[in-house]
Amino acid sequence: MRSDLANNTSMTTTVCFPSLEWLNAVREVFNSTDSYRGAGGGQCDCTVGLKIDGKIFMIEFEGFGCASVKASDEIDLRNADFFLDMPINQWQEMLRNIHENGHAVGEYTLNTIDLGSEEGIAHAKHDDQYRQDLFVRYNQTLQFFFDASHRVETTFARS
Amino acid sequence: MSNPANDEILPELHLSWMKRRGPWNTHAEPGKYGLTLADIQVGEYGETPEESSNLTGRSRGSTPRSTAMRIGGYTVRSKSDIWVENASFLYEEALQRQWSSATDVPWNTIEPLPDDVEQAQCQLATFLTEVEFVAGDVPARWISTTTPDYFEARQVLLAQVMDESRHMDVFRKRALANGGGLMKATGATAGFVGGIDLSRDFTEMSSRLHISGEGAVLTIFRMGELMAYNDAEKAIYRLCAQDEARHVAFGVMHLRYMSQNAPERREEIDTYLDEAERAMLTDAANPAGRLTQTSESLCILLGGGRDKFDEGFRKIVAIRRRQLQEYKKRVISAGFGERFENGRSRLNEMMAQAAA
Repeated sequence: MRSDLANNTSMTTTVCFPSLEWLNAVREVFNSTDSYRGAGGGQCDCTVGLKIDGKIFMIEFEGFGCASVKASDEIDLRNADFFLDMPINQWQEMLRNIHENGHAVGEYTLNTIDLGSEEGIAHAKHDDQYRQDLFVRYNQTLQFFFDASHRVETTFARS
Repeated sequence: MSNPANDEILPELHLSWMKRRGPWNTHAEPGKYGLTLADIQVGEYGETPEESSNLTGRSRGSTPRSTAMRIGGYTVRSKSDIWVENASFLYEEALQRQWSSATDVPWNTIEPLPDDVEQAQCQLATFLTEVEFVAGDVPARWISTTTPDYFEARQVLLAQVMDESRHMDVFRKRALANGGGLMKATGATAGFVGGIDLSRDFTEMSSRLHISGEGAVLTIFRMGELMAYNDAEKAIYRLCAQDEARHVAFGVMHLRYMSQNAPERREEIDTYLDEAERAMLTDAANPAGRLTQTSESLCILLGGGRDKFDEGFRKIVAIRRRQLQEYKKRVISAGFGERFENGRSRLNEMMAQAAA
């Protein structure tokens, strides 16, 4: 199922997580990998915020790909359908698991991480459950996006 | 030897059919998602009537013919009875995000489980095959009774039937894949779920099926990753949850449209929501409710075995709380939030009890 990914050439430049460069590198892999458009992935329209170690980013999914990633701020999170927020060590553990396996396994899928704490990791600044449900509705696409990071040589900034 | 056909005098071609056509010179263009239903909402072809008198199966925008007979029994002919503003979008999304229960689930990751866990997994799978069977049957009934003028909404329902069919088969496959099998039928299709099938109109059906029924099952699917013992089960729950969230989205958007365009029906819809809330934690349709077969199997799966039942029970309480919270927010999103402020709904009380 994932052999096409294994055969692809990994990116050779090392980029630091969390950073806009890192997200752009992941975006590039995600957008150029056809298999992420099938198997429950595909058309996806939502704006996702990320809160990582005090930094805030916005990811725009549009149609069959990731249209943009940008650095942002707390106020802009109001425009996100939902945002993901977890401690930096949890982000790092998740990415290490993805790197080791080519995709998240076991307790490291986004949905499992979300369910692992009382408050979850998917939040919203608004009360519209229709928009918050997009985390579930497009979960496989989000998972594929972060799974794509296994082909990005990643270093971690000191937290 | 001459060909007799060549010797015949052919009548002049009539070709009158060429003059009978809908609006012409249409140039629908693909957008960034390809050529979607939304892209072909061009001119008159994109106009949906508030009331439809189309009883002959005529495609919207085509020219009527005088000798047409009635086809089907279209009882849904008022737009507010079925419409959602983003029907075209939901339909295209449903098509694009399909998955295969045969090849997109890593079945090779399933390994033998302790007997109690396998039995609990098979009991839950038995329950879900029952529920998904109904979730396909019920909307399917409404497809053939909806005028072709509202084909976008029909298409979404057709895609839902395909989704439910896959859910039914994937849980059946899970039950038969690891040394177990199907277990005793739970009766989940009686009671509240059975009542969905008795709905007299589409909105009644949708508020029962999409908002309360599928909303509760969506929470179960979401929480499914907590009771998955391998990547195959994780994938099953995650992919089913995506589909279910789309169905719930249809229900929320339909109620929102209806409450804005047919406010005279708000009281009636509130009554369906009353009924749904009464059954939410007690009916067999909710596996996290109080039906022994399913709630006990959930406790075993969530806890990690029969000997960790109490730990599982604590998690099931969290699921119930989450079901109620998400249901409440969806109802607010659909435009019926007043019921939580004016004392009509007992949901806040139920949430407090679930948290105790």
